[in-house]
Amino acid sequence: MNMQEQMKTLDYDVLVVGGGIAGGESALNLANIGYKVLIVEKELSIGGKMILLSKVFPTLDCAACITTPKVSEIARHPNITVFTGAEPLKITKKGEHRFEAVVLQNPRYVDVEACTGCQLCEEACPVSVTDEFQFGLIGRKAAFIPFSIASPRVAAIDIENCILCGACERACPPDCIDFTQTEQKYLVKAKAVVTATGFKLFDPLKIPRYGYDKFDNVITSMQMERELAPTRPFNTVLRPGDGKMPDNIAYVLCTGSRDKSVGNPICSQVCCMYSIKQAQLLMGSLPMADITIYYLHIRAFGKGFNEFYAQAQDMGVEFIKGKVGKITEKDNGNLILRYEDIEAGIVKEAEHDMVVLSVGVLPNRGIDEVFDNETLKLDPFHFINQSDILASPAKTSIDGVFVAGTASGPMDIPDSILSGGAASAETTSYLRREESI
Amino acid sequence: MKKKIGVYVCHCGGNISDYVDVERVRAAVEKEDGVFLAKTTMFACADSNQKEMVNDIKEMNLDGVVVASCSPKLHLLTFRAVSERAGLNKYNYVHANIREQVSWAHSDDKEGATQKAIKIVEAAIAKVRHAESLDPIKVKATNAVAVIGAGVAGMRAAIELAEAGSEVFLIEREFFVGGRVSQWDNLFVSEESGKELITRLYDEVMKHKHVTLLTGAEVVENSGSVGNFEVKVKITPRHFKLQCNPGELDKAIEVCPVEIPDEFNFNITKRKAIYHNYPSEYPQLPAIDMKNCTRCGECEKVCTAVDFSQKTEYRNIKVGSILLATGFDPYEPKKGEFGYGEIDNVVTLPQFKRIVHYSKDKLMYNGKEVKHIAYIYCVGSRQVDGENKYCSRYCCTATIHAAIDVKKKFKNVHNYHFNRGIRTYGKQEVLYDESSRLGDIYLQSFEHDPPIVEKVGNETIVKIKDILTKDQELDVAADIVVLVTGMTPRKDNSIGNLLKVPKGRDKFFNEIHMKLRPVETVIDGVTIAGASQGPKNIMESMNSALSAATKSFSLVASGELALEPTIAEVNEDTCEWCGKCDEACPYSAFEKIEKNGKFIAKVNPAICKGCGMCLPVCPANSLNLIGFTDEDVEDMIDALLPNT
Repeated sequence: MNMQEQMKTLDYDVLVVGGGIAGGESALNLANIGYKVLIVEKELSIGGKMILLSKVFPTLDCAACITTPKVSEIARHPNITVFTGAEPLKITKKGEHRFEAVVLQNPRYVDVEACTGCQLCEEACPVSVTDEFQFGLIGRKAAFIPFSIASPRVAAIDIENCILCGACERACPPDCIDFTQTEQKYLVKAKAVVTATGFKLFDPLKIPRYGYDKFDNVITSMQMERELAPTRPFNTVLRPGDGKMPDNIAYVLCTGSRDKSVGNPICSQVCCMYSIKQAQLLMGSLPMADITIYYLHIRAFGKGFNEFYAQAQDMGVEFIKGKVGKITEKDNGNLILRYEDIEAGIVKEAEHDMVVLSVGVLPNRGIDEVFDNETLKLDPFHFINQSDILASPAKTSIDGVFVAGTASGPMDIPDSILSGGAASAETTSYLRREESI
Repeated sequence: MKKKIGVYVCHCGGNISDYVDVERVRAAVEKEDGVFLAKTTMFACADSNQKEMVNDIKEMNLDGVVVASCSPKLHLLTFRAVSERAGLNKYNYVHANIREQVSWAHSDDKEGATQKAIKIVEAAIAKVRHAESLDPIKVKATNAVAVIGAGVAGMRAAIELAEAGSEVFLIEREFFVGGRVSQWDNLFVSEESGKELITRLYDEVMKHKHVTLLTGAEVVENSGSVGNFEVKVKITPRHFKLQCNPGELDKAIEVCPVEIPDEFNFNITKRKAIYHNYPSEYPQLPAIDMKNCTRCGECEKVCTAVDFSQKTEYRNIKVGSILLATGFDPYEPKKGEFGYGEIDNVVTLPQFKRIVHYSKDKLMYNGKEVKHIAYIYCVGSRQVDGENKYCSRYCCTATIHAAIDVKKKFKNVHNYHFNRGIRTYGKQEVLYDESSRLGDIYLQSFEHDPPIVEKVGNETIVKIKDILTKDQELDVAADIVVLVTGMTPRKDNSIGNLLKVPKGRDKFFNEIHMKLRPVETVIDGVTIAGASQGPKNIMESMNSALSAATKSFSLVASGELALEPTIAEVNEDTCEWCGKCDEACPYSAFEKIEKNGKFIAKVNPAICKGCGMCLPVCPANSLNLIGFTDEDVEDMIDALLPNT
């Protein structure tokens, strides 16, 4: 029996890989014109990285407030189907406007239609593990709702950590937990593909001299983002080591960016601005705290960005031009930063009670390997290569495969949304070409 | 009067509930007349809560709904859609803003904030009691788009719109297409030349039978509104017939005796009154600049295509949407700014690029070979005292790219970059790295301590207190000083004024919302693309052009538009035209008509935005705002007043 006979076949106009804001924008535009779209999202919720952020620069809009209505529009659009916890295993181009993808749907072990999101399974589950959606700041259960504004907001069972005790099954009022679910494979036929696979954050363990994971009060910017979010785990900003409210916080910019020693020579484009934003938010929530940002160059280039930077300076955020070389810990959990103060021309040391590593943007690798008979070219930094970057920025090396958002390189939210718009426009004209044949 | 009103009070995570006691708000309004149900919710806008609201409305037959949450700018439409999905006409929904107007504004006074929130929700309930079901106004939309500006963004948008299936009018003020990019040689990343990129786009534009390109054309009048704009285009003749002999054309240019500074080359060269900006420019036909032509008739003698009888034409065009891609002007330094206009070898970056373009074996300026080049960054951008507080985004990369090009093209060139912190964001970083490896020297100062350009004897000296070398005073004798001028909004804003497109603090066209609606403006049907919205490089301009094309297309494609019914209406019995409403209206929605033997005001429903500016000025009280009657507003005010 060949694979095709085993798999259920689904037909769409466009397959969008990745349900973050860029993929979502492309999908919505295409669906609004009337095309049938399938979004395949690897995580348990759509909304990408943005839905997990606190507020967004330079307008300080609440990220959830902007993302949730978009996510909700995507979820209920009659022309959009969303698979979460799913990924394409193979995409084959059979000819122009003829793509076939094998999509793997991982079991959630929960009947998505029946689950009401009541969270009784969470209460019943005896297993606690680290919560990846809170970037390790707190724990979660093995039966869990990914996060409070997830879409779909239904439970999932983390089978890796589940001990199969059955407590969740017994607690579930609509009886929607189903351990018999198995992997499903679908054969998805589509006329075009949009890759919106987003980015990965730099892993600061690669710079041991910054002491991440060794020193409790050194955290990443994404962890700080969660501490500042409306759905924040501690309901205030605390340093993880002892739960003390920090009053002297340092930001180390370019952690993992513009750094050939970790293999990433390029600038991540967003860290300066998100750090400045976090500094402003911290001054709001911890009015007595001192914030120092150690930087090489402040890249405040977008609309309203430089003004936002100036505002932070006026608010009293201290900016020190210099690279941090090493971080050491004192007995009380405070941290000593050894850095080059470029303006003073000497190496100095400074003490802070909490350090935030402004980690950079890395390519989310692997999508190129999914393409079967044609090559999806990557650029020297392993982002998806834009084959006609100046005239058609969404084009890739494969006709009919387009790229949206940070899959092609670091960019901020406004740029990702415009890039998502561009991908939908170019997909439309590719599809129109078939219609006119 | 409503009897089954549902009220939802949102925590907004903690954005509201950290300062407003939402449970107290809920309890206080629960007892209001007509309130059937009052709930609190963590995120009213979240999908799960929207589902719950739909169920509530359906199961309990709610006849009015209030959500107390953030600004209606964010979520009015979200909750109207919830009502609609539940089968309740969306105008039975009223939004109460207790975040921007309460929790964020009064974070220092929790008790006061809670009391204010209660009042605001009570006022919304007072309004929803009167709410009536309304139907949107349907207007037909013309499936055509006017794209203003045929630079790279405008041309790209035109191509996309035509491919998607709209009729496109591409309107360019100049006689030639290509905008600023045609003034550039090698372009960063692809290394194709500006001309090559323009050629590719122009060929695509001309391939589409649904694109009409109008050059020498300007929109001079606009009436109508979204779906049905009627624009009047003034087309200035180029005074050349389409059919002509290329040899004769060159001859005509040659014999023209008029010489004026060439704006295309930023006045570093001269051109004739008959001109094209460069050979084979598109459209491949020169034009006669009638402002400077002396009518000597020399050209007519050598070229049969010259036609002085061509007249200015006007063309009326009907379109459903207008896409603005009007680009930018380079900043023009003031006389004396870093020696500009006073020291002869101080030029701007755009001029420098033209100088490089025209230099062959050696880089020459004013008859002298150039070896030492000083670039001064952020001229006209990030100003401490001036108006331009913004960063122009493209210039760091553009300058470094130009500096590398110069080094590759000419021998013994030394580049000195007087910068304020290099902003080669993203992958552009590799260029900065390359230039450093090629030996370019970077010197930096902060905003308040810029470099100084002086003439000392025969030499032009650039001095800086360099923070990269512990504030050492350094100076460079430069053969040419290049002022890295930023992007500024177009000086000529006639199209912006005509369409009433608002501008941001930076004076570029302003979008509705940077993340939710980045290419739309508050003028329905008018979208913005490229550098007209703010500084951008080419790729970014393309992304915004393609996004704007998508938005314009989705507006006009269906052939019909639904507009807000909450607009002004005229009481025809009591109105005696006095024109006060017309004067007060910011959108020109009023028209004077004759009816039943008298003159009265008439509202154009496609133009009226329901802003209400006309209501208070009407001496006969003949105007009413649908959905915001006097009774509604008076009851809301009563609800807001302190309890007696």
